[in-house]
Amino acid sequence: MKLHLVYFTVLTLNSKLFFFGSGPPKRPLMLTIVFFALSGLDVLDSLNVIDKPSLIEWVYSLQVIPTEDQSNLGRCGFRGSSHIGVPYSTSKGPGVSHPYDSGHVAMTYTGLACLVLLGDDLSRVNKEACLMGLKALQLEDGSFYAVPEGSENDMRFVYCAACICYMLDDWSGMDIKKAIDYIRGSMSYDNGIGQGAGLESHGGSTFCAVAALSLMGKLEEMFSQRELNRIRRWCMMRQQNGFQGRPNKPVDTCYSFWVGATLELLDVFQYTNFEKNRNYILSTQDRLVGGFAKWPDSHPDPLHAYFGICGLSLIGEANLRRVHPALNVSQRAFEYLQHLHRTWRGTCT
Amino acid sequence: MTSMSAITQTSDLTNKAALIPLATERPAYYRMSGIEETSNVSSEFQEERSEVEVEEEIGYEDPFRYVFYRDRKEWADLEPVPQDDGPNPVVKIAYSDKFTDVYDYFRALLKNDEKSDRALLLTAEAIELNAANYTVWHYRRVLLQALEKDLREEMRYITAIIEDQPKNYQVWHHRRMVVEWLNDPSEELEFIAEILSQDAKNYHAWQHRQWVIKEYKLWDSELEYVEQLLEEDVRNNSAWNQRHYIISHTTGYSDPAILNREVQYSLKQIKKAPHNESVWNYLKGILQDLGLSSHPGLLEQILELKETHCSPYLLGFLVDIYEDFLENTLEHHEEVLSKALELCELLAREKDTIRREYWSYVGRSLQTKYGSSDSSTTTSAPGIDPGSASVHQETPCSS
Repeated sequence: MKLHLVYFTVLTLNSKLFFFGSGPPKRPLMLTIVFFALSGLDVLDSLNVIDKPSLIEWVYSLQVIPTEDQSNLGRCGFRGSSHIGVPYSTSKGPGVSHPYDSGHVAMTYTGLACLVLLGDDLSRVNKEACLMGLKALQLEDGSFYAVPEGSENDMRFVYCAACICYMLDDWSGMDIKKAIDYIRGSMSYDNGIGQGAGLESHGGSTFCAVAALSLMGKLEEMFSQRELNRIRRWCMMRQQNGFQGRPNKPVDTCYSFWVGATLELLDVFQYTNFEKNRNYILSTQDRLVGGFAKWPDSHPDPLHAYFGICGLSLIGEANLRRVHPALNVSQRAFEYLQHLHRTWRGTCT
Repeated sequence: MTSMSAITQTSDLTNKAALIPLATERPAYYRMSGIEETSNVSSEFQEERSEVEVEEEIGYEDPFRYVFYRDRKEWADLEPVPQDDGPNPVVKIAYSDKFTDVYDYFRALLKNDEKSDRALLLTAEAIELNAANYTVWHYRRVLLQALEKDLREEMRYITAIIEDQPKNYQVWHHRRMVVEWLNDPSEELEFIAEILSQDAKNYHAWQHRQWVIKEYKLWDSELEYVEQLLEEDVRNNSAWNQRHYIISHTTGYSDPAILNREVQYSLKQIKKAPHNESVWNYLKGILQDLGLSSHPGLLEQILELKETHCSPYLLGFLVDIYEDFLENTLEHHEEVLSKALELCELLAREKDTIRREYWSYVGRSLQTKYGSSDSSTTTSAPGIDPGSASVHQETPCSS
């Protein structure tokens, strides 16, 4: 476990986050990488190594805020990085107009999550603007684009949207009914859930669907017990030692979380084989630099390192914080968020 | 594509660019040694001189050397825009000099929303350096339309990129946009088949394929293609999924002749390769909504297969048939329930031990739901509480 602390900590040398490359770094996705590192450290109960105020400022510098004339409301949210070249500004004062500056739904989600992890009170988040930006991304079929300029649309972004609404405690950012229709429509003949209607059922999209419904508080309302049992069966069958993402595909560390968390949300994770799961995850550790990879003897990357830790947390591994299986942050961070919500609703102690 | 190394460092281009006005393109180097700070790079690389570098020093001339944008006369009118992470950047990535140069100019173009051929050319370079940058792709599409570029040429371009990076979301989305603009899907099925021949389960490829087929109504030859793939690998779950996709969107399964054809096809594949979750999922999938127990002869056929082609999937299927029976009929409950419980026990004890606890749970649930009223006090299917982090105890049945 200490080695993984090292992996994530090295990411934070001198309180700065250095990126551990796994090929050309994807700068526009920087915020998601930062989320993996921060949440990973949180699960390792080691956020104290981070210079929180600096990171909070950096996250806020990624917020796309309304311009003076409010003409960009449908494009608000958070960017993944400063790759567009907008001048640095920590969400104080109106936004700078730029023809190509828009938020990205996954960055808005991870941006908010990072702020919550860092103990920020979200007071500098322009909630109305974020929600308007989110509304602009939803399609007729209930799914979401990533960016207002258009992109692919699938279950991943439905989940991001649900997380955003959940964290901001405001579901006006989406048409819930349409989103639910999209989710139900994506259930496959084999009872798993695909990225969209007709597509192959997949551990990642199944998580996104079930977790989104859970965050909406609609899981038991929208699926009958029979359907839930069928989804349980599909998920349970993913375990080979670790978990696979689709039938007849190799196992991969990250599915220990995607499928594991889904099973947890469906209350049957307790019936999986913890030992085999654990042994698999641990077999994918990198003994030199820490972190986890998708397979044994492969190179680690931030995503698999993070979900490896989360996978272990689900089975109750010692010295790890529990992870909230729907929101994908530590239980500690989740409780802090609930506290924030209580202050907003005026019901704080 | 590139080998995955745990640590990146600035390539020695940074140093080279300082020494020689015309920089040479080199791939960034990855090393497993310690972490390098991005500053103080120059001294570290003095020893690392390849033969080619030494040759250059001697005066070897190459007219096709790479030239930074900042050194190109035709770009002198544009002020490069660096990435701005504030006075005290907390997040640092070590990029090569080439990368920074290209993207500084990309940012400049973007800021001015320039529409020009030189911009289009630059997007290709930016994409080569990072094909996942969705802003570059979007800008490229804006340029393609504004400059009315040859979209056939763009198809050739995107074909090559996808061949090289078939698991990237942006490249497939771009291709979809170009196909839509051209309103021409004629190359798609063949192209996707080529990609699938390299990785028969590439999710992006299948997603694009389903879109093309639905959008342009190219259903006709797809079942044949699916059968070919299943011939090659009967365990290809993506192919089975496609089979269901095609049939449900064409003939459908309500015609008993079609349904029976599919059942027979599945049973045939089961006999060839009994340990195959995909075929069992398909079989169950096409029958479950009509009620597994309502199919005449199905139970008998499966029981027969059990003797010669058993698998955990077959046994699970039987449990599901029995459960469906219990749900829909009142007769023979005890007998059917006991058979179901016996199978759960067999699965737990011997045939699917990794799911031992799960099969025990299934047995208990069946017992609780269908057992006689004086049976055990064990709990039934647990409730779900979305608000809490985890529930490790089953909640009592409330009926």
